[in-house]
Amino acid sequence: MSPDYTGLFQALRPETSLLFGALVALGLDLSLFRRHTSGERLNLALWIGALAVLAAGAHVWFGPHGPIFGGVLILDPLAVATRLGVLALTLLTLGVATAARTPRNPAEYVAIILFATTGFMLMAAAQQLLLAFLALELASLSLYVLAGFDKTRPESAEAALKYFLFGGMAAAFLLFGFSLIYGLTGSIELLEIARQLTLQGLSPLLVVALVMVLVAFGFKAAAAPFHLWAPDVYEGAPTPSAAFIASASKLAGFTLFARLLWPGLRAAAGNVSTLHGAPGWLPAVAVISAVSLLLGNFAALAQTNVRRLLAYSAIAHAGALLLGVIAAGRSGPAPFFFYAATYGLATVGAFGVLAVVERTGSCQKITDLAGLHRRSPLLAGCLAIFMLSLAGIPPLAGFFGKFTVFAAALQLGGLAGPAGWLAFLAIALSALALYYYLIVLKQALVAPPTANASRIVVPTLARFTLMAAAGLIVLFGVAPSLLLDLF
Amino acid sequence: MTLPSAHPYAFLALFALVAIAFPLLLLAVAQLWFRFFQPPKPSATKNDVYECGVAPTGDSWIQFKAHYYLYAILFLIFDVEVLFLLPFAVTFTTLPAGALVAMLVFILLLAEGLVWAWHRGHLEWK
Repeated sequence: MSPDYTGLFQALRPETSLLFGALVALGLDLSLFRRHTSGERLNLALWIGALAVLAAGAHVWFGPHGPIFGGVLILDPLAVATRLGVLALTLLTLGVATAARTPRNPAEYVAIILFATTGFMLMAAAQQLLLAFLALELASLSLYVLAGFDKTRPESAEAALKYFLFGGMAAAFLLFGFSLIYGLTGSIELLEIARQLTLQGLSPLLVVALVMVLVAFGFKAAAAPFHLWAPDVYEGAPTPSAAFIASASKLAGFTLFARLLWPGLRAAAGNVSTLHGAPGWLPAVAVISAVSLLLGNFAALAQTNVRRLLAYSAIAHAGALLLGVIAAGRSGPAPFFFYAATYGLATVGAFGVLAVVERTGSCQKITDLAGLHRRSPLLAGCLAIFMLSLAGIPPLAGFFGKFTVFAAALQLGGLAGPAGWLAFLAIALSALALYYYLIVLKQALVAPPTANASRIVVPTLARFTLMAAAGLIVLFGVAPSLLLDLF
Repeated sequence: MTLPSAHPYAFLALFALVAIAFPLLLLAVAQLWFRFFQPPKPSATKNDVYECGVAPTGDSWIQFKAHYYLYAILFLIFDVEVLFLLPFAVTFTTLPAGALVAMLVFILLLAEGLVWAWHRGHLEWK
């Protein structure tokens, strides 16, 4: 059978658009726009990037479906939904970048965001270990650079180094785990691996491979106890980079994780629905989920830095998302996808607000947001929507995300097994989470502004971005079927 | 002699044991040799900078220019490119036209990287 290159090129049109956009942005910046100010160069690059993202979105929407290139890529509803979600979050990140401080090399900044997006797009569709690893590394390497882009600031350099060291370690674990899986099954295709594992059952070597893969994904998803890089990266990275790392990479990462675990390693899943479950990766994921929920929520209570608070809340959300991955075996990927997509929207929005506030001075402490309702009612209103959505208040999208994930987890076996208890724990901790989100909102909506605080002028594009994110959150909260109908 | 009853993973434990014992043994031998046959007698000649037999000139603590790492990276990119091109060239006649397009895209991406580095002035030795 000769490989179907035409089909491959057609399926990879979105990725091609993104790469083309990145190369055009770099090329124009080097040639025609060399003498322009860095602000103008940033604007040009951002517009080219936005066009490339929109073109990629059209290609995803109208593009082919089903297995591509002999099953190396799979364009099923989950892949298409994740690709669209990643593109939307990238577009919002580019919008946030219009408000943030201009980076030293604007065209390179946008180009690397587009490269990372290409990686996410491939992660969303990869159905083969090698491609999955390459896509993950393309995305990760770009994210390390984005975290350290403001390299003259020590915090940014520190964030990049920590992220790189932890990420490199995780990549090594992942590759080791993949190589063991390949050794056991003789294949790198997920469907073939699944077939082989059904015949073999749970061997000691497979347990080692599963542990390696879970550790690696724990690092990448910032799930406790592999979360140590997250607070420093969120704190030190340039604001648009932090928004990107917190949103699009989470969505693509969890899609890849769920695809690897459920169709690929389903035979080694085990059982957590009943009291006396079976061994497999499900119990391990359940433990990681519980630790993330507990550690993320309790550590967030003690934070005085708003970015570190968002980081610990991200760890807690990773725990809830892992619960969604556990439930995906029975309910399909729709619940955790909805959760991850709406979580990404709210996080990009929250970092967008921080980026705009940062234009008038530092915005690290929670008290830096004091009196935001006087300084800019629009920012305060948007921040309220994002924070309340993260906390899971109806009618915002965060509520419905939590609802679908917890409902799916409870359907696994009610309160008869660890999955149900985990859902119960997550519900209880959501109440706790509301407290620290309200601490932020109290500063923004109630506390008076400090004496020397001035009004904040929100740039047009940033205003449009924030309103789009807030609007989408309200829309998906009121009409969740808009997203769920993609499946 | 065979070990019919050994656990299939027993060799891993044995391997780990040998892997830990071997370096410890060598270190112990080195320590004993130092203790009994090699008392420390430093002298000006012994403490000199090592320079392949010729008389040393200057200090060994000099600054190297780290700039060459960019050349190393660029070289590495094209080195790896050759690695991919070689199997491609060997089976070239049996491949469809799409494979050629895919390879051209790959090479163009690398070339764009070189052009970028050139234009940014990273190839000038400062």
